[in-house]
Amino acid sequence: MTPPVRIAQLSCGPDYSGVQHEIETAAHEVNGEIFFPDIALKDIRRDFDAFGLDVRSPDLKLAIARAKALVDGRVEADAVFIATCFRCAEAAIVRNELRRFIHENSKLPVVSYSFTERTTAGTLLTRMEALTTIARRRALLARETQQGITLGLDSGSATTKAVVMKDNKIIGTGWQPTTEVLKSAHGVIETALAEAGMTMKDIQATGTTGYGRFLVGKDLNANLVQEELTVNSKGAVYLADRQHGPATVIDIGGMDNKAITVMDGIPGVFTMGGICAGASGRFLEMTAKRLGVDITELGPLSMKGFGGRVPMNSYCIVFGTQSLVNALAAGSSREDVAAAACHSVAEQVFEQQLQEVDIKEPVIMVGGTSLIEGLVHAMGELLQTKVVVPHHSQYIGAVGSALLASGFIKDE
Amino acid sequence: MTDYTPTHVGTVTKYVVVESFEVTPADLAIRGYEISNGAMIKETCFGLVVNGKEEEVDRIVNELRKVDPDHIFVKDRGFPPGDSRRCRANLGGARPGYHGMEYEMTVIPYVSHGLEELKKRDGAAVSAPENPLEHPVIDITTLKKLIDAQES
Amino acid sequence: MAKIFIYPATSLILSDLVSRHGHTPLSSAVAIRERVQTAGLESPPLQITPEEPKKGLKWAAVEVPSGVRGRMSLYGPMIEECEAAIIINDADFAFGCMGCARTNELIKFLLRQKDIPRLDLNYPKNEEEGVKFVAAIKRFLSELGGKK
Repeated sequence: MTPPVRIAQLSCGPDYSGVQHEIETAAHEVNGEIFFPDIALKDIRRDFDAFGLDVRSPDLKLAIARAKALVDGRVEADAVFIATCFRCAEAAIVRNELRRFIHENSKLPVVSYSFTERTTAGTLLTRMEALTTIARRRALLARETQQGITLGLDSGSATTKAVVMKDNKIIGTGWQPTTEVLKSAHGVIETALAEAGMTMKDIQATGTTGYGRFLVGKDLNANLVQEELTVNSKGAVYLADRQHGPATVIDIGGMDNKAITVMDGIPGVFTMGGICAGASGRFLEMTAKRLGVDITELGPLSMKGFGGRVPMNSYCIVFGTQSLVNALAAGSSREDVAAAACHSVAEQVFEQQLQEVDIKEPVIMVGGTSLIEGLVHAMGELLQTKVVVPHHSQYIGAVGSALLASGFIKDE
Repeated sequence: MTDYTPTHVGTVTKYVVVESFEVTPADLAIRGYEISNGAMIKETCFGLVVNGKEEEVDRIVNELRKVDPDHIFVKDRGFPPGDSRRCRANLGGARPGYHGMEYEMTVIPYVSHGLEELKKRDGAAVSAPENPLEHPVIDITTLKKLIDAQES
Repeated sequence: MAKIFIYPATSLILSDLVSRHGHTPLSSAVAIRERVQTAGLESPPLQITPEEPKKGLKWAAVEVPSGVRGRMSLYGPMIEECEAAIIINDADFAFGCMGCARTNELIKFLLRQKDIPRLDLNYPKNEEEGVKFVAAIKRFLSELGGKK
C-alpha cells in the first residue's frame, strides 16, 4: 500500500466542536493522514508578527505560524486542510488569507472548510479525496488527450450522464434524471453506446464520478472511481481548450456547488458548498415548473426579462419560490421572474462561494445549469467577465472521467 | 460513532515541572521512583508526569516539591501519561497546550525569584503590581514637572 | 479552601500557586479529565462530542460558533462553581483550551459579572515584577481564608 498522503491541518475549534475525529476519519478513508506541523513558540511569535494579520485568538496565531512553516518548507506536507468554526468572523479572515497565502507561495493543494458541530466525515469525504488526488495523482491529472475507447459516467444527485469517447472525440452521450442509481447508470450507458454504435465489449477503460461513483464504479468494475472536483476541473479545461494557465471552474449542481481555481488543469483551491437548496439547480427547476416551462426554456425566457423588477428578499428555496409566485400574482412578467430566479442563484453562489476562491479568468461554467443562459449571463454580470460555456458542458463529469480513464488503458 | 471505554478511571495525572539550575528532571525522577509506591511516574524533558490515586499523587507531589520548592511547579493534566491522543509522535506536532507551557516557562524564573524573595521579605510590604484594568493618567503635577524639564 | 477559577485555565503558574497556598485551582485539565474518564461515544482527541457545543448553548446562543460553545461547556460549569478568580490579562499565548479569543472574552466577562473576589494581573516581565506577582497572589489567597 502506498504511504498515506500527509495532510497538514491548520485549524481553530474542531476539537472543541467534537468534529476532529470526523476530519481524521474522512482523511483516513482516502488514504490521507492528518498531522499538525511541529513548530516552537519562538516560530509562532516570529511568524505571526511577520505575517502581519493581528488576530486575537491564540489558535489562529498558531495556524498562521504553521502555514508559514509549510510555505517556507520547514515542515513537509503533501496537502493542507484549513478548518475553522462556521460563523466566526476572525477565523474566516484567517482562513481566507491562509488559503491565498499557501496557494500563491507553494504548490500545496489547499482546501478550506468552516464546520459546525454537525459536520460529519461524509461531508468532508469528497473534499479530502480531491485533496489526496491532487497531491498524489498529479501524473494522472496531467493527461491532456483522450486515447482509445473509454466510457465516462457521472452519477449525480439530480441527473446521471454517460459519454463514450474515442480518439479524443465524444462519439456517444446519454442523460437521464437519477432515480435508482444503478438503473439510471445502465440506462444512460445504453443510450451512449447506441449512439456510438458500440457495445460494452468495445470499451477499453471506464471512469465514474459523482455521488453514486462508488456504487456504479463497483458495478462496472471501473478503472477509475474519482470525486467530481478534480474530474470536473479536468473536464472543464479540456472541453474549453484551456488546459494551460489559470482558469476558474464553476459548477452549480443539483445538490451542491463547486468553485475551483485551476492551474494547468490541476485544481489549486476549491470550495464545495450547498447549505441551502436556494443556491442550486433545484431552485431553477422549481422556478421552471412554477412558470409552466421546461427547464430548457428557462434560459431563453430569462434572457428576455429583467430580474431587478421582481422583489426577492429571500434566498431560501421555499420563501424564494414564494416571492416568485407573489411577483407573478402581482403582475410581473414570466420573463422577469425567470431572470430574477437566475440572478438569485448566481448571486448566492457569488456571495457564499466565490469569495473563497480567487477568480482567475477564464471563468468556465459547467454542469447542467450552464445550459441555462440566463444563469450564465447573471454570473458574468456579477463577475464582470465573459463566462465560457464549453460544448457538452452538461456532460462535464462524464467527459472528465472518460478522459482520465484512458490513462488506464496501457495498464491492461 | 463507536463506544468509548475510558482507562485510568478514578486516577489523577499531574505535571511536575522543574526549572532549576540545581535539579534536573532526571534527579527528580530518581526521587520520584523512590517514593512512587505503585504510582506511575514518567520522565519528560521538563520534569515528570505522575499518575495514580489522588491521595497518592498528592503525597508524591508534596514530597517532590521539597527537593527544590521554589523551582518546582505542579499542575493537573487531563490525560494519563503517554496517551496517544496527546502524543507528539502521533499528532505530528506538539499539542497546542504545549506552546502555552513553553510560554509560561519563559516567565517562571521571575515567579521562582518571587517565591525566593518572599522568604526574605515581608510580603505585606511588597507593593501591589499594576492593575491591568486601570489605565492611570499622569497626574497634573508630574506633567507640569515634565513640561518644565523640557523647557529648561 | 476555596475553588479558584484560574485564567488562563491552562496556566501552570496559577495552578501551582493556587494549590501551593492550599486552595483548589479550577483548570481546563480537570474538565478534560472528567470527559476522558467518562464512558460514552468516542470523540478523540479530547472526548468532547458534538453534544458539548449544544450544552454550551446555556452560555452562548446558537449563532455563536461551535468552538466557543464547546469550550463553554468546559468552562461554564467551572465559572458557576468558582468562589474566586485570578485573571492574567496578557495571556496572549495560551493555546488549545484557551485558544479562542471570543471564548476568552466571554469567560472573563462572566467572571466579572459574578460577585466574587477577583485578582487581575499581568505576567511578570522581570524579577521585581515576579516578587509583586507572587506577593499579590499570596495576599489574595490568604484573604480568602482557609489557608492550610
